[in-house]
Amino acid sequence: MNKQRKSALSRRQFLQVAGSTAVALSLPGILSACRPSSASGALKIGVLLPYSGIYAVLGESITQGMQLYFEALGNEIAGRPIELITEDSKINPDVAQQKVRKLVEQDEVAFVTGIVSSGVLAGLRDYFHDNQVLCLCSNAGSNAHSRAAKTPYIWRTSFTNWMAPHAMGTWAAQNVGRTAVISVPDYAAGENNVTSFTHSFTAAGGEVVAVQRTPFPNMGDPAPFMAELSATGADLIYAFYSGSAAVTFVKAYHDFGLAQQIPLTGAGFIVEEDVLPEQGAAAQGVKSTLFWSYVLDNPQNAQFKTDFHAFAGRDADVFAVQGYDTACVIDEMLKRTEGDTAVGQLIAALDGIQFDSPRGPFRLDAHSQAPEHNMYARDVQPVDGVLRNVILENLGPIVDPGDDSMG
Amino acid sequence: MRLPVTKILLPVLLLAALLLPLGARPYVLSLAIEVMAFAIFAMSLDLLLGYTGLPSFGHAAFFGLGAYTAAYLSSNHPLALGLTSNLLLLLPVVVLVTAVTALFVGFFALRTSGVYFLMITLAFAQMLFSVAIRWTAVTGGSDGLPGIPAPHITLGPLQWLINSRQAYYFLALAFFVLTYWLLRRLVNSPFGWTLRGIRENEARMQALGYATFRYKIAVFIIAGVFAGLGGMLLALHFRHASPENLYWTISGQVMIMVIIGGAGTLTGPILGALLVRLFPQIASSYLDRWETVEGVIFILFVLFAPRGIHGIYVYWCSRVQVFTWARKLLNT
Amino acid sequence: MDNFLLQLLNGLVTSMLLFIMAAGLSLIFGQMRVINLSHGAFYLVGGYMGLTAVKQWGAFWPALLLTPLLVGAMGWLAEQFLLRGRYGRERQLQQVLLTFGVALVLSDLAEWRWGAYTQTVPPPVFLATAVPLFGLQFPLYRLAIIAMGLLLALALALFLGRTRLGAILRAGVTHPHTVSGLGIDVERVFAATFAGGVALAALAGILGSPITTLYPGLDFEILILTIVVVVIGGLGSLRGAFVGALLIGLTDTFGKARLPEFSLFLIFAVMAVVLLVRPSGLFGVEEGH
Repeated sequence: MNKQRKSALSRRQFLQVAGSTAVALSLPGILSACRPSSASGALKIGVLLPYSGIYAVLGESITQGMQLYFEALGNEIAGRPIELITEDSKINPDVAQQKVRKLVEQDEVAFVTGIVSSGVLAGLRDYFHDNQVLCLCSNAGSNAHSRAAKTPYIWRTSFTNWMAPHAMGTWAAQNVGRTAVISVPDYAAGENNVTSFTHSFTAAGGEVVAVQRTPFPNMGDPAPFMAELSATGADLIYAFYSGSAAVTFVKAYHDFGLAQQIPLTGAGFIVEEDVLPEQGAAAQGVKSTLFWSYVLDNPQNAQFKTDFHAFAGRDADVFAVQGYDTACVIDEMLKRTEGDTAVGQLIAALDGIQFDSPRGPFRLDAHSQAPEHNMYARDVQPVDGVLRNVILENLGPIVDPGDDSMG
Repeated sequence: MRLPVTKILLPVLLLAALLLPLGARPYVLSLAIEVMAFAIFAMSLDLLLGYTGLPSFGHAAFFGLGAYTAAYLSSNHPLALGLTSNLLLLLPVVVLVTAVTALFVGFFALRTSGVYFLMITLAFAQMLFSVAIRWTAVTGGSDGLPGIPAPHITLGPLQWLINSRQAYYFLALAFFVLTYWLLRRLVNSPFGWTLRGIRENEARMQALGYATFRYKIAVFIIAGVFAGLGGMLLALHFRHASPENLYWTISGQVMIMVIIGGAGTLTGPILGALLVRLFPQIASSYLDRWETVEGVIFILFVLFAPRGIHGIYVYWCSRVQVFTWARKLLNT
Repeated sequence: MDNFLLQLLNGLVTSMLLFIMAAGLSLIFGQMRVINLSHGAFYLVGGYMGLTAVKQWGAFWPALLLTPLLVGAMGWLAEQFLLRGRYGRERQLQQVLLTFGVALVLSDLAEWRWGAYTQTVPPPVFLATAVPLFGLQFPLYRLAIIAMGLLLALALALFLGRTRLGAILRAGVTHPHTVSGLGIDVERVFAATFAGGVALAALAGILGSPITTLYPGLDFEILILTIVVVVIGGLGSLRGAFVGALLIGLTDTFGKARLPEFSLFLIFAVMAVVLLVRPSGLFGVEEGH
């Protein structure tokens, strides 16, 4: 049960395996003189993720995904040993502001990766831009950073918020119903979901009859929303929730008998592997779109799942995939620059990186600076006695338009 | 008992602060700037909490308001005005906005006292927070307001562009020292002694003919303004105003700074800000369970140093011979 | 109309959970004049311990009975070793720091022991079903919470009104000095009160966890709402805690249902208005010396 400590230990073990002394090096005063752009010596990567609080689940998964990949490389790329320096940003922009300065200015990392919350990404955007520091964002999906607030220094290895609702809008209009009610937390990512789903759902002939914006950051008991959702008489619900909100929302949806009344669809995080065990039977039949599923059938995913379980002692989730792919992008990028970490070189190398990921074909799109990957329509069903997101349909590759033309 | 604070310690510390940029990395300066912004914030709360006995649990409202006002005026974000980043213009607006808000909140909140005052200030702050996170078209919602450019001070043909870490550090230091000096004069003025009188026994002050409500309103406004300046300082440093700045956790944190540093003093809140901001920042790099350690530290303070860091300092000053000797020397 | 009644029931569920929390907090404040900032942490720890107990024994009811006892014992220890001797108005700031420190330690250790994943205590099997009500299925477990909340309110009212200890506790709220003058062992009363208060928090934690779920950070979310309830009702008043819980529970529910964008704002607006009209809460005694 002791997840926090176990993974923390593996983090330490990893550092030892890497033959590094991250702790000693990051002590003020005992600092190496190596400049960030050097092409030899240990290659320091700053990892800025939440390791405490409710988002610690994401932070641990992403980190372990990266560690797994690097371990397979012998923790070395282009002849340089890899050294991950992890920092706990919580989900507080002000904490993250100092942590990124610590990583860049004191630890002199070659570049930064991580960042779970869009609020943190929004806050740090100017720091990366003004100081010309590369950030490989491995979670936060805010559309703006592939569009109006785009900067050459922020690339995403995860997704944009636009993707899942866009795919679901079209798919739901064709397969589930013609009228929809949307339920999202009342913040930027929720709004991204509203505009994207509305756009594609309407384009496919559907109609959004109501939008429910629930309190953020704390939704509390979702019971009051259930009666209102039911009262709309829509053909389907589209919801965007994750973590504890996803658990309570899906449970309430089931407990209040809405499951027999109105189908629930959503962005995949609502029934991802981190919340599915707790939702249990309540989640059965929930349809969602995401770029990955545990049961996705390809050789990379099969290998990844086995390796991750051996490494972390638990099943992989989508966040682990994001970490794994981030490490793979880093690997490709540094191979192309032959270990050189000058920021201009790194950015040039990112353009067009592609590989076969556990999520299927992965290509970094230079326009949106985010991945092009397949979207999958999924349905929660038991597989060998365990609830999983069974793939209903491969919806094909999707890439963020890089502007607001499609919601 | 007079401590050698003013005569020895302060000049030494000030000199050290002035020389810090010579040896320190930019990251260290960044930490120092954050600590100074929070120290200003904490000192301002102590005017209420320590000096007047008004436990405000909504002081983040003014801190965040200062941050958002500065951001809204200066940011080049599409939602913001982007009018100016001239400090000489930002400053009076921040002062005005926080003062007017403090007058409004204080007018209602100061009708209550004790725990009820604690909660009504929290209520106002939380309402402001919900506006900040909800009214996306103006405040940027959960993402806050990024895109604040480097500030400058422009007066006629003279311009100082504050675009380096060092320059901003000196600006923050100037703000910090000036705040300390002003508040020190304030608390040692007749006004300050009246505040202490209200803390000890408000009814008696009223009987003596003091219009205590006016004093409380006045100190509430002053505290609000300085909290706003602290918030502005932080936002201009991070180039970003975030709704976190307004959240009740920040109100709680600044309260802890004052208590752990030593309420009713000015050095106390500064030391409290130093500990409460720096400990998590540094400890979280090395410890997994740093929050437990932080909690234990708080508990140990209550058990063994109930007067806070400042109390420890006073205790040692009264015992260590060197200090006694120095004090005698200075007093002659 | 159906919708209104449905939301009313939802509101009552929230209200009853808040009441159980608020009753404990108010009881503690009434006797010791301490705002227990670790109250939310005891809710969370109670919920987590209940979860472990349910998993161990496979039964809900023993966990519901034993966990509050265990948490109550923790509260008793905390009172004995930390709070004792630190009462009094002039030590209010120390009490804030102390109970906040305890809250930090408890919640961090809970995250260490139980992890960051969202978890829930499974409700007892015979309640894990729903009844058709007002055009929707209404979970039986939620109705049971309303019933248990009302029963507890009744039991507490009888306890305070009809028993000797209850009389001492009531006197302690209004005339603390008289109580000690009567030769009553105030220290034991305090220890019992603190233990009982946090035991109530733990009870709320187990009862509420199928609804709120358990996750890091929940402790402080619950704490803030509980303090709001207690302050609206008037510190130290059980009746106040009950009315305050109803007011906030219903405001929260109807706010979410009808004005979801403003529900956060509404709760604090209600508190501000109540305090402006009645600066000591609805049933509070004027705070003084």
